[in-house]
Amino acid sequence: MFLHRFYPLALLSLILSFLAITTVNAEPVIDKPAPLFTGAAADGSTINLADLRGKTVILEWTNHECPFVVKHYESGNIPNLQKQAVAQGIVWLQVITSAPGKEGNVTGEVAQKLNAHRGATPTNTVLDGNGSIGKLYGATNTPQFFIIDPKGVLVYKGGIDSIPSADQSDIGKAENYISAALADLAAGRKIAKAVTKPYGCSVKYAS
Amino acid sequence: MLQLRSIIFTLIVLLLCTGALQASTFEASTDQVKAQLITSVDAVHPGDEILVGVQERIIPHWHTYWVNPGDSGLPTTIDYVLPKGSTVGDIQWPTPRRIVLGPVTNYGYENEVILLSKVKVPDDIQVGKEFPIQAKVKWLVCDEICIPQKVDLALTLPVVLPGIASGNGSPLIKAAQTTLPVNSPWPFSIAKSGNTLAIRVTDVQFKKSNIKHVWFYPEKWGKIVHNAEQPWKISGDTLEIQLKSGDEPLAGDEKLSGILTLTIDGAAGSVTQGYQLSAHAETVSTIGAIDAQAPDLVLSSALLLALLGGIVLNLMPCVFPVLSIKALALIKHANHNSIENKLHGLAYTLGILVSFTLLGGLLIILKAGGAQIGWGFQFQSPLFVLGVAYLMFTVGLSLSGVFSIGGSVMGIGSSLANRSGYSGSFFTGVLATIVATPCTAPFMGAALGFALTQPPATLLTVFLSLGLGLALPYLILSQWPSLQRRLPKPGVWMDRLKQGLAFPMYAAAVWLVWVLAQQAGINSVAIALGGMVIIAFSAWLYESTKTGIKSTQRSGAGVAGLSLWLALIGSYLGIDTSPASPLSNVETSSTFEAYSPARLSQLRTEGKPVFLNLTAAWCISCLVNEKVALSQDSVIQAFKEADVTYLKGDWTNRDDEITRLLAEFGRSGVPLYVYYPGKNSPLKNPIVLPQILTPDLVIRTVKPSLSREKEV
Repeated sequence: MFLHRFYPLALLSLILSFLAITTVNAEPVIDKPAPLFTGAAADGSTINLADLRGKTVILEWTNHECPFVVKHYESGNIPNLQKQAVAQGIVWLQVITSAPGKEGNVTGEVAQKLNAHRGATPTNTVLDGNGSIGKLYGATNTPQFFIIDPKGVLVYKGGIDSIPSADQSDIGKAENYISAALADLAAGRKIAKAVTKPYGCSVKYAS
Repeated sequence: MLQLRSIIFTLIVLLLCTGALQASTFEASTDQVKAQLITSVDAVHPGDEILVGVQERIIPHWHTYWVNPGDSGLPTTIDYVLPKGSTVGDIQWPTPRRIVLGPVTNYGYENEVILLSKVKVPDDIQVGKEFPIQAKVKWLVCDEICIPQKVDLALTLPVVLPGIASGNGSPLIKAAQTTLPVNSPWPFSIAKSGNTLAIRVTDVQFKKSNIKHVWFYPEKWGKIVHNAEQPWKISGDTLEIQLKSGDEPLAGDEKLSGILTLTIDGAAGSVTQGYQLSAHAETVSTIGAIDAQAPDLVLSSALLLALLGGIVLNLMPCVFPVLSIKALALIKHANHNSIENKLHGLAYTLGILVSFTLLGGLLIILKAGGAQIGWGFQFQSPLFVLGVAYLMFTVGLSLSGVFSIGGSVMGIGSSLANRSGYSGSFFTGVLATIVATPCTAPFMGAALGFALTQPPATLLTVFLSLGLGLALPYLILSQWPSLQRRLPKPGVWMDRLKQGLAFPMYAAAVWLVWVLAQQAGINSVAIALGGMVIIAFSAWLYESTKTGIKSTQRSGAGVAGLSLWLALIGSYLGIDTSPASPLSNVETSSTFEAYSPARLSQLRTEGKPVFLNLTAAWCISCLVNEKVALSQDSVIQAFKEADVTYLKGDWTNRDDEITRLLAEFGRSGVPLYVYYPGKNSPLKNPIVLPQILTPDLVIRTVKPSLSREKEV
């Protein structure tokens, strides 16, 4: 039964060749390097996160039709935070992950017009229609925020404030996590609340 | 008369008016949701505790959210405005369901949900007055897009004297209570290790009940990753589900709370019930990973695994000779009519698929009868083993050229020059299936283990997929003449190879007789060998009289047939089919002990490491593994050094204890190798080893430190 010697080997090699490769979801972790990406920007340029080393970067997932985004833009809350952040020398990038045909999917031109109309002044807007950056960061909500320090380390992930609602009247009562983070950054402190619960609409991925 | 009529008319108008008035207040609608305020009574007494609720009826594809909406969304909120002195409890949330969109997982409700709260009527409310209830309801309703909405609902209940019936209220209340999770009736615990959480629930019914799906819904955001897999398994009486810690993991003294749902297949279809759990997590050093393949395998991957398993079966020593005979026939005919080759390929495939359907059907029937069976179960019958031994021997004789039957049942028997007989190809397929059953190829174990827990249709689908895999290599070869041209040229070598291939068949027959000896005692060997002599005689007689005159031919075939019948009937009567007592075949030796559930649990209680080998004499893969790995000196030495007790369980004959143990690991057949770490090991859970072993693999499992030293 010489076959006995041959088959285990043959089978072993077969098994090895069929072994499924499990994909690991790289989720961003606080105090670990933030995942790097490049993406098309609304102004036609290409944004490479690695090029922004040396600057603090805020990623804001957005969808102009989502009622929670509307709440924080109409009230002036997010546009104010953007002004404040940019004045602090921070790069503020909106990210639009809505897939083509889904709510909030816009061209770069429309994205810029929307911002002008809303008095919003982010540094730029990244168009992520295929959802790759969204999935890289595990973005689930609009609005949702990630803050990356000048060394490229993730220092904040979470929501905008502490009261999950679509009512503008709640903004004044809520603890604003982003303005607290901006204050901590300005003072050179570690961000006190580095992880918070985001709330809002789901990010409109293709699938 | 006229007066009476006008009174009735007035009454009707009044009723309509109040009805209309009520409708505008206790009900409200948006484009997506119809809401109404309901109560458990029609009237209240002072000091009553009643149930008040809001029913949301949601248009298709839209949903509202649970108290923890998951990755996005907002739970419904209800602000009750009640007379002074009333109190209102929290919303009693019905068991939610998962709503998944890409990487976003939400928890909520589709179609309909009723959110109940307890309301306490003040003790000092005056009888005869009214008890008004106002509810300000806010919800976020989403499909692809989300819309925040709010409605104001109100109704009024009369306050009546104690003793006057308060009425039945809305029938919806009762319906709503059935959708609520119940407190867990079972003992449970939560363990935490690194970023893995494991919930363990114990109940003796778990093994028997047909649990299809398990999911844990955490009450708070951040405690677990919502979109992560939740692998689960049932081993023994314990159900374990594993969760991944989320962005705001459990703090030291924080409890994990939520709803564990079990979906159970019953007579009336599958039913999901939620169980409320809340407990502190106990930190442990490790939580053994749950093999994602078993038992929670999805049909698609089971089908794929079965197909792969079927393909690999072709290489197993049981099937290879049969297959190579088919391949030889193909070489011979490579230059002939390709349509004929294609038909042969199809007939062969059909033969395999029909056999697998029969095998699957038989399994379903036996399973319905409550038998504990698995893959290769038919080899637990000594008669079947003898039958296959005879078959192997006959095929061997035919290959050796002792006899040939032109284009009849024995397709292999037909000489290679004989091109007729699609039935021959069909029965080669049947033969391939029969000889394949004692082999368990890689991938098959998980797929079959899954199939055996499934309803008949799914079981058959997996079996057919396995059969297709087995048929595939020859089928492909037969369908593409261009592939056939790459085969070596036909020649005398083919006859030599054919004759050579007779010897593996004889060897297989010898092995089966050995299996038989263990199943039915030494006398069965005499019967089997005697039967083989008669078979050989019949074959010789048939062949040598075949070419004679008609009468010689007839008498030769007659005598041959008669003696063959005698052999078969004699064997049938002679073999002792009473099943041997369990475990009788494994005798404890210096290197291993016979498995028994009692011995295993004793060793486990003592905290000793155990290596368990579940095997059967008719399982070739098992024997190979024992030869090349488990009986190697290095392995025996490693067992000794690591103080591992090596237990061997024999499934050669039917043994329900072992079948149950196999099922615990999601398997339906042997081999199964399990290493139970001892109390000193950092590992806690049993480790299932692959179905193909190497000495190194075994040593590394039982003595991780040893192999590391070796590597250095």
